[in-house]
Amino acid sequence: MMTARFFIAALAILFTLSHGTEAQEKYPNRNITVVAPFPPGGVADLTARPVASVMEKILKNPVVVVNKTGAAGAVGMSYVANSKPDGYTLLLALSSISIIPEADKLFDRKPAYNMDQLVPIALISADPTIFVVHADRPWKSVKEFVADAKKRPGEISFSSSGVYGTLHMAMEMLMHSADIKLKHVPYGGAGPALTSILGGHVDTLASGPAVVIPQIKAGKLRPLAGWGTKRVASLPEVPTFKELGYDIEFYIWAGLFAPKGTPEPVLKTLRSTVGQVVKDPEFIATMDKIQTPISYLDAPEFQKFWDKDAKMLADAIKRIGRLEIQEAK
Amino acid sequence: MTMTETLQNLYLGFTVALAPGMLLYAFIGCLIGTLVGVLPGVGPLAGISLLLPASFGLDATSAIVLLAGIYYGAMYGGSTTSILMRIPGEAASVMTCIDGYAMTRKGRGGAALAIAAVGSYAAGTVSVIGLMLMAPPLARFALRFGPPEYFALLLLGLLVLAYMSGGSLPKSLAMALLGLLLGMIGIDPMTGYFRFHYGLVELGDGIGVVPVAVGLFGLSEILLTAGQAAPEVIKPRLRELLPSRREWKDSAWPIARGTLLGFLIGIIPGSAHIISSFVSYAVERRLSKHPERFGQGAVEGVAGPESANNSATSGAFVPMLALGVPSGPIPAVMLAAMMVHGISPGPLLIQQQPELFWGFIASMYVGNIVLLILNLPLVGLFVNILRIPYPILYPSILVFCLLGVYAVNGSVIDIWIMTMMGALGYLLRKFDFETAPIVLGLVLAPMLEMSFRQSLSMSSGSYAVFVNRPIALVMLAFGVLLLVLSLRPLVAENWRKALGLQGGANLEEKNSSSP
Repeated sequence: MMTARFFIAALAILFTLSHGTEAQEKYPNRNITVVAPFPPGGVADLTARPVASVMEKILKNPVVVVNKTGAAGAVGMSYVANSKPDGYTLLLALSSISIIPEADKLFDRKPAYNMDQLVPIALISADPTIFVVHADRPWKSVKEFVADAKKRPGEISFSSSGVYGTLHMAMEMLMHSADIKLKHVPYGGAGPALTSILGGHVDTLASGPAVVIPQIKAGKLRPLAGWGTKRVASLPEVPTFKELGYDIEFYIWAGLFAPKGTPEPVLKTLRSTVGQVVKDPEFIATMDKIQTPISYLDAPEFQKFWDKDAKMLADAIKRIGRLEIQEAK
Repeated sequence: MTMTETLQNLYLGFTVALAPGMLLYAFIGCLIGTLVGVLPGVGPLAGISLLLPASFGLDATSAIVLLAGIYYGAMYGGSTTSILMRIPGEAASVMTCIDGYAMTRKGRGGAALAIAAVGSYAAGTVSVIGLMLMAPPLARFALRFGPPEYFALLLLGLLVLAYMSGGSLPKSLAMALLGLLLGMIGIDPMTGYFRFHYGLVELGDGIGVVPVAVGLFGLSEILLTAGQAAPEVIKPRLRELLPSRREWKDSAWPIARGTLLGFLIGIIPGSAHIISSFVSYAVERRLSKHPERFGQGAVEGVAGPESANNSATSGAFVPMLALGVPSGPIPAVMLAAMMVHGISPGPLLIQQQPELFWGFIASMYVGNIVLLILNLPLVGLFVNILRIPYPILYPSILVFCLLGVYAVNGSVIDIWIMTMMGALGYLLRKFDFETAPIVLGLVLAPMLEMSFRQSLSMSSGSYAVFVNRPIALVMLAFGVLLLVLSLRPLVAENWRKALGLQGGANLEEKNSSSP
């Protein structure tokens, strides 16, 4: 009995501590939570942690990263979208933030959240995806690849991190722009998608540079092009699709968001904080290690970037439409 | 690589691993891992994920050594609550619950814990030798497992289990089916449709194995106990903490077989240590001369699965270290830890970072010894938990189950799932159904579905993909053979029964005990 009572009392105290006090004084005066909607070790988590640790130094208050995972990020994102807009619950989201509400719309589902429930604070990183093919495959350039794909529609395959996932989106843009049809073999995550191409079970893959560069250096994969506007620094010989005449652009980006309705002064503090974070040497060194280039944009520019990106993704999703099971040939 | 080179490299590794700082991290890792594993529900993945940020401040090798220690510590620690309280500390310990707990009820809990510790040690050490000598070729072989091979393997696994399961076959199959059905909940991996989510976003990822396992095993046990007259508390005596000579003898082969099985299953990308423990249990029951002892406290049922799940840990590191690709969620977190320290994991890791690779290998040898030294004395301590009177012990366990299950995803839905599964487990056990096949079905369903549909995507819908690929074909053929073998006695005995040659009363026992 004693134990049970003790636990109830302890829990009650914990709850009052975390929810009871109100932010009436200067912001911030207590713990700030940054929600990473993906598991530890992923891009969102790896970006959120250095951001949080430098924010902590600047704001003089603990900034805690919480991984709220599930349903491809929808759980964590809808959690923040529906949180109290007081600046104490923030979201570190990736490009997929624009995909989920569109996919919900496509399937006539009640959306887990709407994009207008969140306001951007800053873009932190943006990494163009790289188009790679298995080293044993014959194509040495995008031109050769597209020519072959046109000859055999639906035969050349690609793996992805999952249907409607970021890697699927990048390939959809390529297929649309080059007017080719490829075979899609989705996996449950970017790791298994990479394993699959290394084993030669699929022919091509679009993936972030950090993931594929070691395999390129070891001669297992061959890069044909990148989705960025500029070439990737560590792959200077690899052209961009834009250079090759395909008007496509795709980044896996990470940005910080707050729930809509967060007071303007609080947003201002947060914006200037992130502006300092991206210049911090400790932060720069960490992002360098995880091979994720910093590409900072303050809220107004980030909003423009986000709108454009979201529109591009929405178009891609509409083009893909509802996936149906293919009939056997 | 020649033997001398390997030995030289290993020497380099030991100079890294035996440095006092590194020893300390191996020890801390094993200790945290054991504690994390003991907490119901919180398994190695949750443990590593929670502690990943703490490792950011260390240098790369220390961080990896620490995380690896947590990993195999948790794999071992999971057995403790399984054996003593029938609560799976993590999903891979589900099979240990059955005979481990039965041993505890007979007063052999200490022996079961000691066997689990020694089995884990032996499996850990032997599988590191495998990792050290054969990582690159094994990893290349593992890559040949594409979706069709993987599907064939899983199907083979299911058939092996059906072939080897004891008890009533229809009941086991019904439970496995229930598990497979539960595994259908969540986002359709090939189309993105939500299935059976009832408006809950949390169900998008499906039902987690942890709340189901803790509910079906742990909660149902607490409920069952509550409905009975207070059981006599078995006070373990010190001399009973150690396994008898006979128990050692009975455990030797299961440990060896579990080690091999676990290592091989662990290598295959996407495969899980959970499956290795199920297969090991089934194999032991089949090979045993007294399969009827399984479920009643057979030491083999602890030795095999516990060795297998620890050995699978090393197996899982093969693709990670040799190729830089994760074979599952846990190696994925470890790869992230390497990246944070500026090491890009990839096929060149072993050449470029020899001190990391060999230091890691050596630290695994050291870690396994640390684990043994840490855990054998703890056996006495843990067994004393049983001295706590039930009215205090059980409510506390309940609270720990709640905390543990909640801690994994921070999800209240998981707590509801656990509660419902507890009630379901209670009912099923009242009606004499085995609940382990539900967990197995739930683990296998998403993997089976994914690999099956990926295979058909690859072949544009042609089923020939399963027979055109040699590895898949061999495994499927073997599966069909097992199926025929397992149906034979069923048919034969029904035939005899029809002819009135044999009484039908003991038919069921016959089915389960003879091939």
